[in-house]
Amino acid sequence: MATNILGIGQSALTAAQVGLNTTGHNIANASTPGYSRQVVVQGAALSQNFGYGFMGQGTEVSTVKRVYNEYLGVQVQTAQASKSGLDTYYAQMRQIDNLLADTTVGLSPALQEFFKGVQEVASNPSLVPARQTALSAAESLAARLQGMAGRLREMEQGVNSQVISSVSAINSYAQQIASLNDAIGKAQRASGQPPNDLLDQRDQLVVDLNKEIKATVVKQGDGDYNIFIGNGHPLVVGQKTSTITNVASPTNPEKIEVAYQAADGSTVIVGESGFVGGKLGGLIEFRTKSLEPAQNALGRVAIGLGTTFNAQHQLGFDLNGVAGGAFFNVASPVVRASGLNLGTATVTASISDTSALTTSDYHLSYDGSNYTLTRLSDRTVTTFAGFPQTVDGVDINLAGPVVAGDAFLIRPTNAGASGISVAITDPAGIAAAAAAGAPGDNRNALALGALQTTNTLGNGSVTYQGAYAHLVSQVGNKTRELEVTSSAAGKLLTESKLAVQAESGVNLDEEAANLLRYQQAYQAAAKVMQIASEMFDMLLTIGR
Amino acid sequence: MRISTQHLFESGGASIGELQSGMLKTQQQIASGRRILTPSDDPIASARALEVTQSQSLNTQYATNRMYAKNSLVELDGVLEGVTELLQNVKSTVISADNGVFGDNERNIIATELKSRLDQLLGLANSRDAQGNYLFSGFQTTTPAFVKTATGATYQGDAGQRLLQVDASRQLAVSATGQSVFQGGGQDMFQTLTDVIALLQTPVVTAADRTALQTGLVSANNDLKLALDNVSTVRAAAGSRLQEIDALDTAGDDRGLQYSAILSELQDLDYTEALTRLSQQQFTFEAAQKSFVKTSGLSLFNFI
Repeated sequence: MATNILGIGQSALTAAQVGLNTTGHNIANASTPGYSRQVVVQGAALSQNFGYGFMGQGTEVSTVKRVYNEYLGVQVQTAQASKSGLDTYYAQMRQIDNLLADTTVGLSPALQEFFKGVQEVASNPSLVPARQTALSAAESLAARLQGMAGRLREMEQGVNSQVISSVSAINSYAQQIASLNDAIGKAQRASGQPPNDLLDQRDQLVVDLNKEIKATVVKQGDGDYNIFIGNGHPLVVGQKTSTITNVASPTNPEKIEVAYQAADGSTVIVGESGFVGGKLGGLIEFRTKSLEPAQNALGRVAIGLGTTFNAQHQLGFDLNGVAGGAFFNVASPVVRASGLNLGTATVTASISDTSALTTSDYHLSYDGSNYTLTRLSDRTVTTFAGFPQTVDGVDINLAGPVVAGDAFLIRPTNAGASGISVAITDPAGIAAAAAAGAPGDNRNALALGALQTTNTLGNGSVTYQGAYAHLVSQVGNKTRELEVTSSAAGKLLTESKLAVQAESGVNLDEEAANLLRYQQAYQAAAKVMQIASEMFDMLLTIGR
Repeated sequence: MRISTQHLFESGGASIGELQSGMLKTQQQIASGRRILTPSDDPIASARALEVTQSQSLNTQYATNRMYAKNSLVELDGVLEGVTELLQNVKSTVISADNGVFGDNERNIIATELKSRLDQLLGLANSRDAQGNYLFSGFQTTTPAFVKTATGATYQGDAGQRLLQVDASRQLAVSATGQSVFQGGGQDMFQTLTDVIALLQTPVVTAADRTALQTGLVSANNDLKLALDNVSTVRAAAGSRLQEIDALDTAGDDRGLQYSAILSELQDLDYTEALTRLSQQQFTFEAAQKSFVKTSGLSLFNFI
């Protein structure tokens, strides 16, 4: 039997058609995120021995495959997680940076105006307008502190709601990846061919998941992706997902934490170091390392100012000859027992030495015989067996039955800025005099004024203004650091993406060339078929 | 290297975006005149600027305090000048009373004159400032400093001397107590005057009376000299404080200029540098835009 020219032409025509289809598909998806260009894998059909030699039987398309490099894909995922984490941290940090930026509305001018008022009282102790000015300046200082604390609190709430939306995005990606695992498995088993577009979709979902949290992919023998987050928590295994969820912190109901949800519905809170990278990691790191310390630093200025000013004020006498009372209402430390405590013990904390105050929160736990107090900023641990205890200027006491495993959160300065207010309303109540019944006595006012330049905080190392300046420089430095690192992470991500794009991306010029190539192949194949047909016609004319 | 079409557009867009945000920042700097827009632009300078602003604000306040101190001291000096004139007047009157020709009648006339001087002196001792505070009552500024008695006057104030913070480490006394001015230096002006009035009103009959008169007048004269010396001492002290304030003012003004210079160096924008930077950024930006349009417009599809 002679070689089938028509059959050869047809195989060439089909191959050219597949090529044109694939090229068209590539052109159509040139800007689809995560799309990998596809190529036709074509081979010569098995030839046949006719005795005088092997005759070719045309061509056949073995598969259409996507051009994808797994190693480069993983690089993009890692770079994406770190870039998203840093970007999120940076975006949050810039809010604090901007809050402190404005020299006209920051804390500094209010503090200076207040002490100006005090100096005016020292210069004119019996002049009521001068006293009124001092009182108004004190009120605007308290309002400024409260306002700044309010802004920081808003940021805290913002972090909470973003954590919630990030967690729900992670769960949704997990489900989509699991169902793609299923779909890909089915498609592959049914046809034996790779479902290229589904594979692209799944890889893109992994990149998207890495925008929310650092996720590690372990590819299984059957092609499934198993996904792990945090410290090895399996988020997706085959077609099954596990859920992460939000719970309020047991020691701080206003703080939303992330927890793993077990099959029985119980939740385990993930430690703050449990998540790194991605939006979620960035948010949690911002909250722990920058937002809470900033709240505390501002609180420390407020508590330090209120307490030391009150102490001096109470040494004096007011315009009516009455001993000076508290000038400011100062916030007390916030103590919360964990909601999981079995004992009913209550912990109380009060500040005994403002100069020794730090800007950290403290975690107190009981192991059945000893108490462990951890300073959260640097994890310094103090262990003791009984109460009262004084740590970093805070007197801590415990009363009532305590059970092993009970925990408490002590936040000495957290409410400082939001809780400060002016205690006196009568200008005559300012205790400018050092002796009773002496309206012209300004000695206590002079002493109050001198507090502005006294190193009252940080174990006698900084003034109020200095402590605030310290906060400003810390926030500035951190923001700058994040600006640099997030831009570096951005460069790394761009390079990884570029490497992927160089291999898998669609180049329209290349596709245009392919289009011409397959068009010509199609025309040539059609010509072969035309000639076969003409040959057949020729045979028919012979018989006529 | 293969370049994907997607990457071509993405990277072109991204670099144009970067250039744009750089230009925006320069523009913001130019519009505000500030080099540091947020603390992160220069954390160290931001913190330093806060400290300098506080020093500057304090320096301004000390200048205000010095103005108050100056006003108080000038007021004090004015009253003391009146006291000096009055005492000199009394002194010459007392000297003139020691005249052998004068009889009881003439001495009575002199006594009457001195009585009105005593009231004047009491008036000066109970001077008030513009706010109605008694100048010489120490811290008891709502109580008159002296109240007249049969033997002179009693001090009702206290020993308080008002200090003002006129510089970072200098508190200056801006008041003097009535006791130190009118009853200091081993004399009591009110008693001296009351005594001499009583002496002049006593009729001279015997030789002993005359001797008593003369001794009394000499002692009154001595006391008045002591009183004048005392007032001069207080005035001199106030005068030297005024001089010190002038010196502190000069130093304070210098410091104020220094603080402004430091703040300007820390925060202010170098306009020449910024405007040069802006035109450079603008140039790059335009080049990036044009080149992007050109390269992205190249496509094989244009030819088939």
